[in-house]
Amino acid sequence: MNYAVLLVPSFVLQALRRADASLAGKPIALAQGEGRKACIAEVSPEATAIEPGLAVTLAMARCPGLVILPADPAAEAEASRLLLASAFTLSPRVEKTADGCYTVDLSGADERRTEEQMQACVVELSAAGLNVRAGAAPTPLLALYAAHRAEPVLVVRNPKAFLESLPLALAEPLPNHATILHGWGVTTLGGLTALPKAEIANRLGTAGVELWERAAGETTRVLRLVEPSKTFVAEWAYDPPVESMEPLLFRLRRFAECVALELRGAGVVAERLGLTLHLEDDASYQREFRLPEPSADVDGWLRVLQGHLETVRTSARVVGVRLVASPARPLEKQDGLFETGLRDPAMFWENLARLGAIVGDDRVGTPVLRDTWKPDSVALEKPPGTVPIPEPDPVHPPRGLTLRRFRPPWPVRVELDAGRPFTIEGATLRDTVRSTQGPFRMNGEWWRPGDAWSIEVWRVQTESGAIYQLARDHQQWCVEGVLD
Amino acid sequence: MGYFELHARSAFSFLRGGSSPEDIAKATSASRLPGIALCDRNGVYGAVRMHVAGKENGFRALVGCELVMEDDTVVPVLIATQAGYHRHCEMLTTAHLRAPKGEARIRWSELAAENAGFYALTGDEEGPLRIAWRQRGERAAHEAGDRLASIFGPDRLFVELQRHLLPGEEIENDFLIEWARSKGLPLLATNGVTQATPQARNVADVFTCVREHTTLDKAGRKLARNAERYVKTPEAMAALFADLPEAIENTERLAGLLEFKLSDLGYRFPDYDRVPAGETQDEYLRRMTIFGAQQRYGSVTGKVKRQLDRELALIEKLGFSGYFLIVWDLCVFARDQGIMVQGRGSAANSAVCYSLGITAVDPIGSKLLFERFLSEGRSDWPDIDLDLPSGEGRERVIQEVYNRYGRRGSAMTANVITLRSKSTMREVGKAFGMPDDVLDRFSNLFHGGDYPQTIELREQLQAAGIAENDVRMDLLLDTCRQVQGLPRHLGQHSGGMVLSSGQLSRFVPLENASMPGRTVLQWDKSDCEDMGIIKIDLLGLGMVAVLEEASQICAQRGDPIDYARIPKDDPEVFRLMQEADTVGCFQIESRAQMATLPRMKPATFYDVAIQVAIIRPGPIQGDAVNPYLERRAGRAPVVYPDERARPILERTLGVVLFQEQILRLAMELGGFTAAEADDLRRAIGFTRSTDRLNRMKEKLRVALRGNNVTEEATDYIIKSLSSFALYGFPESHAISFALIAYASAWLKVRKPAAFYAALINNQPMGFYSVASLIQDGKRRGIRFLPPSVVHSDEKSRLDAEDTVRLGLKTVQGVRAKVVQGALEARRRGPFESLADFLRRTEFSAKERRALATAGALNGLAEHRREALWRVESMELDDDLFRSAPATEDAELSPLEAMSHLERLRADYTTLGFTVGAHPMKLARPSLPDAWPASSLKHGKPGTRVQIAGSVSCRQRPGTAKGFVFITLEDETGTANAIVRPQLFERERLIINMEPALVIVGRLQNEQGVVHVMAEEIERLPAVGMPEQRSHDYH
Repeated sequence: MNYAVLLVPSFVLQALRRADASLAGKPIALAQGEGRKACIAEVSPEATAIEPGLAVTLAMARCPGLVILPADPAAEAEASRLLLASAFTLSPRVEKTADGCYTVDLSGADERRTEEQMQACVVELSAAGLNVRAGAAPTPLLALYAAHRAEPVLVVRNPKAFLESLPLALAEPLPNHATILHGWGVTTLGGLTALPKAEIANRLGTAGVELWERAAGETTRVLRLVEPSKTFVAEWAYDPPVESMEPLLFRLRRFAECVALELRGAGVVAERLGLTLHLEDDASYQREFRLPEPSADVDGWLRVLQGHLETVRTSARVVGVRLVASPARPLEKQDGLFETGLRDPAMFWENLARLGAIVGDDRVGTPVLRDTWKPDSVALEKPPGTVPIPEPDPVHPPRGLTLRRFRPPWPVRVELDAGRPFTIEGATLRDTVRSTQGPFRMNGEWWRPGDAWSIEVWRVQTESGAIYQLARDHQQWCVEGVLD
Repeated sequence: MGYFELHARSAFSFLRGGSSPEDIAKATSASRLPGIALCDRNGVYGAVRMHVAGKENGFRALVGCELVMEDDTVVPVLIATQAGYHRHCEMLTTAHLRAPKGEARIRWSELAAENAGFYALTGDEEGPLRIAWRQRGERAAHEAGDRLASIFGPDRLFVELQRHLLPGEEIENDFLIEWARSKGLPLLATNGVTQATPQARNVADVFTCVREHTTLDKAGRKLARNAERYVKTPEAMAALFADLPEAIENTERLAGLLEFKLSDLGYRFPDYDRVPAGETQDEYLRRMTIFGAQQRYGSVTGKVKRQLDRELALIEKLGFSGYFLIVWDLCVFARDQGIMVQGRGSAANSAVCYSLGITAVDPIGSKLLFERFLSEGRSDWPDIDLDLPSGEGRERVIQEVYNRYGRRGSAMTANVITLRSKSTMREVGKAFGMPDDVLDRFSNLFHGGDYPQTIELREQLQAAGIAENDVRMDLLLDTCRQVQGLPRHLGQHSGGMVLSSGQLSRFVPLENASMPGRTVLQWDKSDCEDMGIIKIDLLGLGMVAVLEEASQICAQRGDPIDYARIPKDDPEVFRLMQEADTVGCFQIESRAQMATLPRMKPATFYDVAIQVAIIRPGPIQGDAVNPYLERRAGRAPVVYPDERARPILERTLGVVLFQEQILRLAMELGGFTAAEADDLRRAIGFTRSTDRLNRMKEKLRVALRGNNVTEEATDYIIKSLSSFALYGFPESHAISFALIAYASAWLKVRKPAAFYAALINNQPMGFYSVASLIQDGKRRGIRFLPPSVVHSDEKSRLDAEDTVRLGLKTVQGVRAKVVQGALEARRRGPFESLADFLRRTEFSAKERRALATAGALNGLAEHRREALWRVESMELDDDLFRSAPATEDAELSPLEAMSHLERLRADYTTLGFTVGAHPMKLARPSLPDAWPASSLKHGKPGTRVQIAGSVSCRQRPGTAKGFVFITLEDETGTANAIVRPQLFERERLIINMEPALVIVGRLQNEQGVVHVMAEEIERLPAVGMPEQRSHDYH
């Protein structure tokens, strides 16, 4: 009993269910493939009469309340972290064998207590929303087999008898081998090992021999151990509470020095910083910063933090502060030949953070014209890490006069004569039209009720000689800009 | 001021136009335009429809085309003369035939050489001039314009101006005007029409998304900027070009120069060029007809002679002798090649066709109406349809036509593939960004075919997963309604071939069909008919191939069949029909036919013709079926709508069953002339719209009233006429089909083993899978032996009178060429062992596995598993071992033989059927309450019963008011269930998706026709039953 395996059956589904309380008790399934080839990949026990491989439409026919879900990597990561933490309670030597499956090297552990500890893991994880099976055996492979067959804990003491009736799929044959063996009527590991190994070699080659050995439980291997995941957190409680920025910045510098050291020791850097200020009125102020580039540079961090804190006004005095650094591998990148890097990325992001704090993050970015015929339709894009070289203006077609847009447009009243604008009257403009060009009509997004738009545009020259662009949208006139 | 719209595209520009030619024509009329030029892309696909609409609505339909050039620019051309049109078609044909489908490009050199008789426009935003101006500036635009000017000269090139109310377009127009004036070229206003109305802009946008493989949300500036490219009135266009009146005036001037109209096509059917020297076509036809008549009738006297003289005189008068000789010669060719051929359709009304051996029905004996086929008043050519064996035999005849008339002298007619309900939802749904799973679910819920649904499209979408309150629902539905019925692409007609004297490609452009070795023309059969282009239908019938092959199989056993001589009154054949034991029989094997046969109880050959004709949408909708059957059974009196109708309807007991009867009623009671009757026939056959038929109905109604036909009788005749538009058979056609139906039933009764062997060899065809056919055959006492590399041929054959040895081609996934190689090896010497077989054949590892799994290697191994074990040996793939002499097979495998269930599964996996017991036999113990299908006929009507089995057929006929028919097959036969619409809607997915079902319901038994009226439906729980192919919604 040298190895244990903690296995979460239907891991992806379990992770999804654990992340969303509303799925409790409902039949759920995970689909794979697209379009007509979409079929069920995993299915929860509540979905009776459905098995993996069944077409999604047929599955929905058989189980009307079935909820088909996509995989959620975040939910899986959270569940993995929980499982890993639990595995470390058995031994410090843990391997992530697969998603939802950890193998533990039990060398040196007290054999008499291991089964009990495995039971404890299962109970603890079950309380946390993960149904786990645990198996223990002399080799990692056998322990994995044991976990698959456990209800919920199984310790293998007689490997040969144990293997005999196990389904062949556990040994993970190649698809073509699975087809051949199915044709031979071989459905169990025992059935395979009953065939002469040499004959298998003759028919299925090296991969077949490896399969045979896996079926016989003869395979062993060295685990690829994982380190416990470290969270890089620092906290401080103020007594008395602080009112000015200096003590806060001082403390943050200390934090930064410490956390940065830990990060460097682990061979990682921070990609994000999380700042929490606990306030005297029990409220808290939280903020996360994406660093211009992952780093462990204390001064750089502090520039970002200080730049932001200068704009923050809290509702009460600060009683505590917490800084969390999210680790990441150091970034190694080569600049593109035709890309222009930012001269001072740190300063750039520092300024962006300041702007975001003032106007809101969703209102910071680079305005880009949307791909639509709707005039002056703009969206904000997050700034790129590099500044692309601007494209030269096209030489053709000639653009005629340039429209300088008024933002916002000027609302005006327009009097028509024979259907054409005749006078314009508004807060900043009052004039008579000398000549007109138009109307121009544009409309679009008819397929989006509420967003469908239809605009009538005129270009008018007034008695004053200026040329304006007028627009009428839902009977409301405005001056969009001046052409010069 | 007259304005002609000289640049319009329809949906026949395939995803580049949002309206049908008919809708554009309607808008043209409504806008009071004097004429319009349809310029579809690289073709004249919609030209005939526009021509016909123009004639009906009184506007000029001018012929034009957008030519896509080799540099992807688009040059609109307008056709001025017949010679220009011919050149245009030739040029397009050349471009289409050298390019993959949809990628034809015209070379500038070709346009420069072949433009006499065309006028050209500089084009819209895709035109060479504007593209150059936009992308490369004025100088490049001058160059592009100069090239056009040098090709067409100042008299035949017009500078096209369009105003779509878009900012900035005047800068471009200013350039065009300036350039035109500098070159002395005339300006021409067009609206570059892409849709009939502003509302159809939605369709154009959706088509843009389909073309660009994107969604409306993502298409951005690929979509139209506004909806202005519709058919505008002359006044609206004049207002738009008020500052350039000459651009409007020039449309009228140019239209005046376009003399060509499609009625000046100049098409002529080819002469028969094998007439012996010194004889005319007329004389030769007469000689061959009389000779044939002597063979058919024994002597040509009296009634026969009078009929032949009458027909031949008319054929000569109408100039059709060459046509009859050409068709006759094709039949001679087919028979010389050993290919069965039989004419069908209205040609069977002709004694000349019968005498020439084109048809097999004696129209004189059968009292058929010659006028249905040919009459003096007919403006078009008669159709002669030939039934040939499907597959290779038919292809040989088609290729012979190409050989005789050349690749440019003959082609298949097109079949316009339109967007139907399912494809519409898929295309529009994708454009709207609906998720794939919803679209898939919709497709699965609402199975193929456009059968009427019992729930609205809105509810269908909800069932597929679209929320009831989805804000886009209304728009989606509206767009679907607009898109449905528009052309999506061009397919080829199942067998219609068009011939021409000289080059056919002068009259209509030809394209490559997707099938290798075939060319297709740009018009469908209605277009050809409208243009007076004659079509010969070379139709492939699986059953003709079966009859031919069964005859060969019997001949190999020294017992050849001559179908012309089989007795037409065999009581055993009629017994088979009366008992509805007709699985595999032509035309009378469907569930609906089987449900009628016990009531109809055919007892004569003519009864078979009625049986074939009666289960059609026409008679069913016309409420003809029950009255006929009741009168036939003596339960209702035979009455006639009018005493004058008695001679016409006597044979069908006062009920209108055949198209000829409608025509004769129109002539006898309505006083229609032969020409008017022919117009009526064409209106019945015209499927694109009901306008023609409605006009004819009104005309007939007036005529009947004028002849003192009672209102009740008039209503009955008009109702029958309406129902025939839903598809009914002409009597001659029914008799032709009845010949094949009778022959297939005779074969099943008298040569059953050959019947099943030939049916299996010609799959897929008919209603039933091989699995069902084998079970049916076993119930008739036929033994089926499994495929075997030791015993089988490639195809199935007879080993004894009652024994079919299945062919190796029944093993799925095994290449025919390798099988033929193996059989050749076996002919050189039998396989002595499995090792010997493997050494001397070229089967791949996968094929060996399939053969072993199917049991085809059992003659060389103890059992399937042993074969499977031995075929996997790697030594087999080693060249050293392969060239070594065969040795005794190695020791036996360590594997156990397959169980019964495993063998069954292996059979279905590799063959799709089993020669053993039906899978339901295995499932029976777990279904103690299920009634075997064969026992249902003994049950008391009203009894609540449970039936179970694999689904062999699902049907929802348009005539059944939403009811669904399901046929379940078990080890004793088939059981039919009827599902009410409400139950179907509730269990739609289960019914459509599950391969095997359990149905509980009440037993019905009406005159020997047994059904279960379903009350509960659920899937048959997994009991190891393999899946079986079913025949659904056809």
